[in-house]
Amino acid sequence: MNMNKALKIVGTVLKVVALAIIILLTIYPLIWMISGSLKGTQEFYTNIWGIPDAWKFANYSAAWSRAGLGVKYMNSLIVLAVTLLVIIPAVGCAAYAIARTNFRFKKAVYSYLLLGLCIPTGVLAIPIFSAALNFGLVDKLSGMILFGAAQCMAFGTFLLRSFFISLPKSLEEAAMIDGCTRFQSFLRVILPLAKPGVMTLVVLDGITVWNEYLLASVLLRTDAKMTLPLGMKSFADKYVTDYPQLFAGLVIVTVPMLIIYVFAQRSFIEGMTAGSVKQ
Amino acid sequence: MLTKKSNSVTLNNKRLKDKIFPYAMVAPSVIIFTLFAVYPFLMGIYISFFRWDGLSAMQYVGTQNYSNVFIDSNYWTALKHTFFYAFFVTVGKNVLGFILAKLMMDLVFAKGFFRTITYMPVTFSYVVCGMLWAWIFNPTFGLLNNFLSLVGADSLIMGWLSDPKVAIYSVMWVDIWRWAGFHMVLYLAGLQAIPKDYYEAAEIDGAGPVSKFFKITIPQLNSVIVLNILMAVTGALVSNYDIVNVMTGGGPFGSTEVALTYIYRNAFEFYNLGKASAMSVILFGLTLIFGAIQIFSMTRDENYDS
Repeated sequence: MNMNKALKIVGTVLKVVALAIIILLTIYPLIWMISGSLKGTQEFYTNIWGIPDAWKFANYSAAWSRAGLGVKYMNSLIVLAVTLLVIIPAVGCAAYAIARTNFRFKKAVYSYLLLGLCIPTGVLAIPIFSAALNFGLVDKLSGMILFGAAQCMAFGTFLLRSFFISLPKSLEEAAMIDGCTRFQSFLRVILPLAKPGVMTLVVLDGITVWNEYLLASVLLRTDAKMTLPLGMKSFADKYVTDYPQLFAGLVIVTVPMLIIYVFAQRSFIEGMTAGSVKQ
Repeated sequence: MLTKKSNSVTLNNKRLKDKIFPYAMVAPSVIIFTLFAVYPFLMGIYISFFRWDGLSAMQYVGTQNYSNVFIDSNYWTALKHTFFYAFFVTVGKNVLGFILAKLMMDLVFAKGFFRTITYMPVTFSYVVCGMLWAWIFNPTFGLLNNFLSLVGADSLIMGWLSDPKVAIYSVMWVDIWRWAGFHMVLYLAGLQAIPKDYYEAAEIDGAGPVSKFFKITIPQLNSVIVLNILMAVTGALVSNYDIVNVMTGGGPFGSTEVALTYIYRNAFEFYNLGKASAMSVILFGLTLIFGAIQIFSMTRDENYDS
C-alpha cells in the first residue's frame, strides 16, 4: 500500500515536470521573441536570456516604417476579410444543400468538392501561376483571395455539413410552417445553431489565409501588393543584422491571429471537438 | 391527378423553386472550386507536356519533361527528403500531441489555460516560426547552444542549421513544435469522449495501466488517431515549402531540399515551368493515395440524410 502511494506521488511529480517542460518549450520562445523585440541591437547579442534593460518600443515604429508594414498590413487584412466573406457563405450554402436537401447530383457534387483535399496548394503552386496569367490575376490581391478560397472549399463543406446533419429537422419544419422560405429558415434557424462550426472555419481558414506564403510567393510580385509573410521574408533578407527590429516585425505579424484565436477559442474548440469525435 | 393539375401556377412555381434551390446553393462553391483549383490542376498537367519559361510561347515537347525528371537525381533526392520529413514529422506531431493530451487529462486545474497556450503556435505562420527558431538555433548567439553550454553539455553544441546531417531534423522539430497543440486538441477531445466506467470496470478486473492503454484507450481512439495521422501526413508532404524556404532555403548542400522547394526553384529560378509542372504532377500522383484515404475515412460510415 505504501509502495503504491509512493509510486503514485512519483508519477504525479513526473507528470507535472513533463507538462512544465512542454509548456516552457511552447511559451518561452514567444516570450523571448517579445523581449528580444524590445532590446537594443547591442543588448540583443550580449543579454541573451534576460528581459531588456531599457524597453525600446522604438523598434516597433522602426520596423513598421522600414519594412513598409502599413501597406502590407492593409493587403493582408483585405485578403483575410474578403476571403472569409467568400468562403463562409459559399461553403455554408453548399454544406446545407448537401446535408438537408435532395437533388439528383448530390453525391457527385459532394465527392467533387472533397477532391480538393487531394489537390493541395503545394502541388498546385506552379499551375496556379499559369492559371493566374490566363485570368490576369498575377500580382493582384483578388488572385490571392480566389485561389486561396478555392483551397478551403473541401474542408469547409465537410465540416459544416457534419454540423447541419446533427441538428434536428423539426427546427426548419417549424420555421417553414411559420412562413419562412427554405433559405430563410437556413439563415435564421440553422446557421445560428451551427455557430461553433462556423467559428472553427473562421479560425482554421483565417490562420491559413493570414499565413499563406507559397501562394503569395507565386502570385505577388511587387512591394505594393505583398502580404505580411512575404513582406517579412523580404525585410529579413534585406536587413539581416537588425534582429530586434525583425523580432518586432514578427510580433506585429503574429498578434491579429492570436487575438482572433483567443476570442473565438471556446466556439472553436467546441467545433473542432464535434467535427472530429462522433459520439 | 385532376385536382393537382388545376391547382394553379403558384404550386408549380414553388415546386420549380424547390428543385432549383439546392443547385443554386451549391453553385458558388462548385464554380470557385472549378475555376481556381480544378482548372489550374488540369492546366498543370497540360503544361507538363510543353517547354515553357513563363514568358515566351509554349513549345510542345511530348513526354520530354517527364524523361528529364526521371534522370534528374536531385528531384529524387528531394522526394526522398520529402517522405523522410513527412514520416518523422507525422510521428512527432502525433506522439507529442498525444502525450500532451494525456497530461492535460490528468490536470485538475487551469486546463483551459494550458490548452490555450499549447495551441498558440498553430496560429503563427511558418515564416514567423522559421525566423524565430533559426535564431534559437544560431550557433553563437542562439538560445539552444547557450543553454547547452550553461548546463555543461558542450559536446551537444552543434550547427543546428549549418550541419548537413542535422539541419533537416532541426527543421522538422519546428514543424512539430508548431502543430503539436493542434493534434493535442483533437486527442484531448477523443480522450474525453471515452466513458470513465470502461476504465473502472477494467480496474475491477485487475487490469494495469499498460493493458488499459492498449485494450481501452487505443481502440476507443481509433478514428481520432486515423484523422490525426492523415492530417499530419498530407500536411507534411505538401506544405513544407514555407518552413524549409525560410529556415534553410534547401541547404546546406541540398540536405534539406524537399520536392516543393526544388519545384519552385525550377519554375522561378531556372524558368523551366514545363519541368516544374511535370514534377508537380509526379508529386501529386505520389500523394494522391493519402488524399484518397483521407476522403474515404471522412465519408465512411456516414449515411446521406434521407
